[in-house]
Amino acid sequence: MMNWKRISRATMLCTTAAVALAGLVGSAHAEDKKFKIYLSLSYSGNAWQSEAANIVKALAATPPYDKQVELIEVISGTDPQAQISAYESMIEAGADGIVTFPISSTALNRVIKRGCEQGVKFFTYDATVTEPCAYNVSYITAGFGENSAQALVNELGGKGKIFLSRGVPGNSVDKRHTDGAMHIFKQYPGIEIAAEYYSYWDDRTTQQETAKALAAHPDVDGIWAQAGEYGAIQALQDAGTKLVPMTGENSNGLRLALANPDMQAKGLKGVSAGSPPAQSGYAFKLLMEILTGKRTLEATNIEYPLPWVPAASVKLCEGETFENGCNAFPDGKVPSSFVTEVFNPELLPELSLLSALEGKPTPGATIQPLPAEIVKAPNEPGINCQNCEPPADLYKLTKIQPTVSP
Amino acid sequence: MSVSEPKGAAFQASADLRRGGGMSRETTNAIIVFGLSILLILGSRFVSPALGSWSQVLTVLMLASFLIVLSFGQGLVILVGGLDLSIPAVITLGGVLATGWAGGGGEWYVLPAILAICGLVGAFNGFGVTVLKIPPFIMTMATSIILASAALGYTSGTPRGASPAAMTALMKTTWIGIPVVVYFVVLFVLAGWLLQSRTVFGRKLYAIGANDQAARVAGVAIGPVTTQAYVVSAICAGFVGMMLVGYANGATLRMGDNYLLPSIAAVVIGGSSILGGRGSFIGTVGGAVLLTTLGTVIAAIGLEQGWRTVIEGGIIVAALFFMREEFFARLRRPKRN
Repeated sequence: MMNWKRISRATMLCTTAAVALAGLVGSAHAEDKKFKIYLSLSYSGNAWQSEAANIVKALAATPPYDKQVELIEVISGTDPQAQISAYESMIEAGADGIVTFPISSTALNRVIKRGCEQGVKFFTYDATVTEPCAYNVSYITAGFGENSAQALVNELGGKGKIFLSRGVPGNSVDKRHTDGAMHIFKQYPGIEIAAEYYSYWDDRTTQQETAKALAAHPDVDGIWAQAGEYGAIQALQDAGTKLVPMTGENSNGLRLALANPDMQAKGLKGVSAGSPPAQSGYAFKLLMEILTGKRTLEATNIEYPLPWVPAASVKLCEGETFENGCNAFPDGKVPSSFVTEVFNPELLPELSLLSALEGKPTPGATIQPLPAEIVKAPNEPGINCQNCEPPADLYKLTKIQPTVSP
Repeated sequence: MSVSEPKGAAFQASADLRRGGGMSRETTNAIIVFGLSILLILGSRFVSPALGSWSQVLTVLMLASFLIVLSFGQGLVILVGGLDLSIPAVITLGGVLATGWAGGGGEWYVLPAILAICGLVGAFNGFGVTVLKIPPFIMTMATSIILASAALGYTSGTPRGASPAAMTALMKTTWIGIPVVVYFVVLFVLAGWLLQSRTVFGRKLYAIGANDQAARVAGVAIGPVTTQAYVVSAICAGFVGMMLVGYANGATLRMGDNYLLPSIAAVVIGGSSILGGRGSFIGTVGGAVLLTTLGTVIAAIGLEQGWRTVIEGGIIVAALFFMREEFFARLRRPKRN
């Protein structure tokens, strides 16, 4: 019934004809096969996660990548098992590369190793894995915890009651931040931790948990917060008495508040640092440079620089991008929970607000090459390597010096 | 008087009320949970000297306001023998639409339209439960998944906009030193209690929950009335989404996640039967206040996260044990031996 020979011969003829014809037209790309790249998220639904994903989508749609990449997004939720099966499917589907926010630093190792053996390149952003064949692109090792804790201690003159607003219980990132912060706080006997609570890196949860802590300790002197920090400011405002020195991550709300003279007068001081969604874009561009042969790089841990914006350095942007050293957007342009560190004039000049909010490419932009050198991250057991030794100066301060002695 | 027939308890309770003598089980229950809340607030001074103050009471009422509005709707659904698991998704829907459509400007008239959309979601739940005969927890869970995906698609992950002015005014302003939302909650509780205990609609809900066959024979339109309970629940959840937006000045896609179990727990601790047919909104309000107070006190103790959750769960279990029908029956019945 089916004459396979004939069909295959016809197909071959057709293909040959098509290729020949294309060659005649002159638009022939023998390598016109698009790279199959997967974007694997664990959970979505907060500003940070969706901005990080939007950046990758925007870059994949920016010329010349728009002709070179087929990008497929998969959201697998908070269960490691679901992300393991997502990776499995991607490997089966012949992925060239997987850019991913891994839900666990250890649970995914086996499937990643299997993928590496099949030639798949794994690039993690922000969160990391300890499997050595993966490329980790993360700011985690850059010392958010210890630097922000020292900044808070400096503001408080080395003594006072503080709250710790942490992230997700049991998460390796939360643990690394808190360990770094505690390394500093423990040196100052005058610092008393009045309340410690988990806020799940979420504004609203932070606001409610901080409100509860304030009910018990209205005399708090400072707050050390991870992402969600804008909720802590709002809880202080709801209580209506005063603002206090605090640290937090990169929400536009915190940056505007730090630079606001009225809030400064009420006692708000501090620094905005923390996790940049821009890491995902850097990871994706590195992956593409390797795939397109522009860069040779063996699997390694790459450190993304820690954003560091004290109140005095907050500068409003006029337009849709970070230019002239600006690092926050005017009120009303973005929601207060918007994470501003989606841009990086050096690494990601292609991006604008449109990219971060909607995943659309900036009109007229083309992909610019990355700087040649990368910064290698130090070893951190359980974070980016197994059975390894951390450096002796793991918690060394890089952004700030103590102004009060313990 | 003996209460041996749980089915008859609701009618027994109303009979008590009509006679004006004796206290119904619901009333006793409500008094107990409120008493516990007050004891807890006063006793919490031992935990931290700042607790037990007027400002803590206001913090508790502010945080409890979300749960009170939510558990009114959940309470009606439980009353007719159902369960509404779509609450977190509808909270997110209300919040996301409020910031997306009405945020920033003063377009308060969009808010009722959003509540109407949430009501439609409730009608969809009711339709599935009463017409398609899908078990309530499966139907409402399915609705929840559909809505969560719709919200993710609508926002592409990042809800835009800010809080509508009307909601900011409700959640952030004070009048004579008391947050406006506290006055609102008092009015809401009064209206909710009237609707549940003093209207024909409320009576019908009790009748369906107690015995739907009997209610049908008595001429209650089971389908429409049950559906109305789901509609009210969804409207309440949508409104809580708006309240949260006013409170936190923005929406997130996970804003409703932490409210599902508390909304059920408040209803049950407040003395309602999880099987339907029995309960009072005043008891539920007490349950909501008790749970919230508990949260603030446990937060003040400064325990590890794990222990906090263990204690909260333990207290809920204990509360349920003591609120059981048998326990009350034993209290009321003089021992004869």
